[in-house]
Amino acid sequence: MSGIICAVRGGPASQPTIEKAIDLAKETNLLLRFLYVVNLDFLSHTQISRTSMILDELNQMGEFILLTTQEKAKRQGVNTEAVIRHGNVREEIIELAKEIEADYVVLGLPVGEKEKNVFIMERIKEFGNLIEEESGAKIVLSGGDEL
Amino acid sequence: MFRNSKKPLLLIVFAILASLLFSFSTHHEYAHGQSVTNPILFGEIIDAQNTPVAGVEVLAETQGEKISSAISQPDGRYAVEFTEDIPDEVTIIYERAHFQNITISLDPDQINDLENGITVVIPKFTLERKIGPAFWIATVVFIVVLVLIAGGITHNTLAALVGASTLFAISYLGHPLNENLYIFDFAGSIQYIDWNVIFLIMGMMMYIAIVEHTGIFQWMAFIAYKTSRGKMLILLPILMLITGIASAFLDNVTTMLLMTPITVQIALSVGINPLALLMPEVMASNVIGVSTLVGTPTNILIGSYANISFNGFLQNQTPGVLMAFSGLVIYSIFIYKKDLNEAHEASETLINKLEERGKITQPDHLKKAGWIGAGMLILFIFGERIHLLPSVTAIIGATALLLWIRPNIEEMIEAVDWTTLVFFMSLFIVVGAVQEVGLISVIADWIGKLVGDSLLLAMLAITWLSAILSMVIANIPFTAAILPVVGFLSANVPGAEGKVLFFCLSIGAALGGNGSLIGASANMVTAGIADAAGYKISYTYFLKKGLPAVLITVGLAFIWLLIRFY
Repeated sequence: MSGIICAVRGGPASQPTIEKAIDLAKETNLLLRFLYVVNLDFLSHTQISRTSMILDELNQMGEFILLTTQEKAKRQGVNTEAVIRHGNVREEIIELAKEIEADYVVLGLPVGEKEKNVFIMERIKEFGNLIEEESGAKIVLSGGDEL
Repeated sequence: MFRNSKKPLLLIVFAILASLLFSFSTHHEYAHGQSVTNPILFGEIIDAQNTPVAGVEVLAETQGEKISSAISQPDGRYAVEFTEDIPDEVTIIYERAHFQNITISLDPDQINDLENGITVVIPKFTLERKIGPAFWIATVVFIVVLVLIAGGITHNTLAALVGASTLFAISYLGHPLNENLYIFDFAGSIQYIDWNVIFLIMGMMMYIAIVEHTGIFQWMAFIAYKTSRGKMLILLPILMLITGIASAFLDNVTTMLLMTPITVQIALSVGINPLALLMPEVMASNVIGVSTLVGTPTNILIGSYANISFNGFLQNQTPGVLMAFSGLVIYSIFIYKKDLNEAHEASETLINKLEERGKITQPDHLKKAGWIGAGMLILFIFGERIHLLPSVTAIIGATALLLWIRPNIEEMIEAVDWTTLVFFMSLFIVVGAVQEVGLISVIADWIGKLVGDSLLLAMLAITWLSAILSMVIANIPFTAAILPVVGFLSANVPGAEGKVLFFCLSIGAALGGNGSLIGASANMVTAGIADAAGYKISYTYFLKKGLPAVLITVGLAFIWLLIRFY
């Protein structure tokens, strides 16, 4: 297996990353996989523990978000696959990249923070290097070129 | 044969009657003798807030030697029985942790009466509070717990558990080193846990665990979408109403857990920002939920403390809630009109997916849950006539549903949110500690002086103070702590006997929760799910949208309370 991985969270901040991934898929003719990771960290500040029901709901929501993303890609003539995982986003991206022996992983930059926040940029580059080390996939940043 | 068989029967009846007569006459003689021969000293103890003080050790002594003792009861009354001869000098000592000891000497007339077997009544008196190290320790622990919860520094349950454990550790480990470090013992702390609240929440959780898997919420949201035919200005009020009505009977957090994902999907399918639907929904959930006893955790706390029934909330709050809801709908349309107008027609694929999601998945379970729910509603409404506690109704209803549906019992037990129950129990202990050491009395005294005899001032203070504080510290711990203060004001402010101040607290605490992200657990859950979909609800964003909503909704509901009670 091979292909491109694009982790999607939904919302306007994800759109440039999705666009970049679609462009890359068109260029390389590789299969594009959109990844949505269900993470329940937000529950740590409440007193809720019914995680199985919430996981189900977020799973459904993730499927829908990926469906809207896949529709967007389809309109541009790109066929895609949707993958849903549970857990830590960073770990799941690396895991999937290793599993499918991905050629590329497209990472997004927080909107409006590309130049302003050196710290965030540094962290993303650091994460990109880790993915490359662990899986051998090349990293493409939505706002720039390969790392 | 017949005559022969009758004889033993008559003998048995005679024996029973004789033994009853004998036991009655013995008991009567004993009781009568006791009232004549054993003199009793009666009395009643209250604190500065006119609240009965329980657990006061009343010691009768003569020349430093104990001759009798008694413990004051929850109504503050005590009865010291003298079984020996009455000496010429009798001193009565009143002792209780966190209060100043009082010693009084009986006068010769009182001693004479006791000697003659005449009951002596000591006039009701006030025991003064003692502010010592325990007071400050319990206060600091309480504030730290509030900060941990409000700041989201730890899980709410962990914060409350840390608070309760710290109090126990100080009481048990610190007490031998310094007796002023004693706050309360385990048995004393348990008395502050409101088991009616715990069992009501538990019963409702078990019921909800069945309902939430039936797909009813998703179905209602999809029907709302279809009914509105994609017109967002129609869809928004319908979604708000569905969320609100569901919140009035189920808890707000579950309602939002189920409504948020489907709402995000509807918003994404028509291409609008999901926050334009989610923010009004969660605010409606906090507003309409307040109209019933089981609608919000704060109402459950208030109802149990002040003995306000399901009907009590329904009758006294619903008109105000409807006024507040109308104001909220208009406000929501006003602030999100631009976003709502950006809606476009959803693609066929997305509509198909929505339709797939909007199906009742377990119709049989839903039907049974509907019947049981209707039965529970009837018991909630009419149960007060037979003194049926809401917690009993909830447990009976949940058990009946489990028996009828026979789900996997382990899964059902897992569905009960034990962390929430532990949170409530620990919180009751932490709040109980500040009650025990007198912090609540100090606050009650201060507010009492502030409002004086004015019912209007008291209503204003409780409503708006609760609304403001619920924005800063989560409304559950705030409500648990303020209840005794409201109880004190209700007993002392003329005109407040009709529990109006508890309704003010209910309105303020629940609707005030709309003012900030941490104001209600439902807000945090909604924000968490929205964030997972890529739409961040920041603290500032919530404050900006929520604060005007609080002013509008609390203002309108307060007007109703004035009309109803003032």
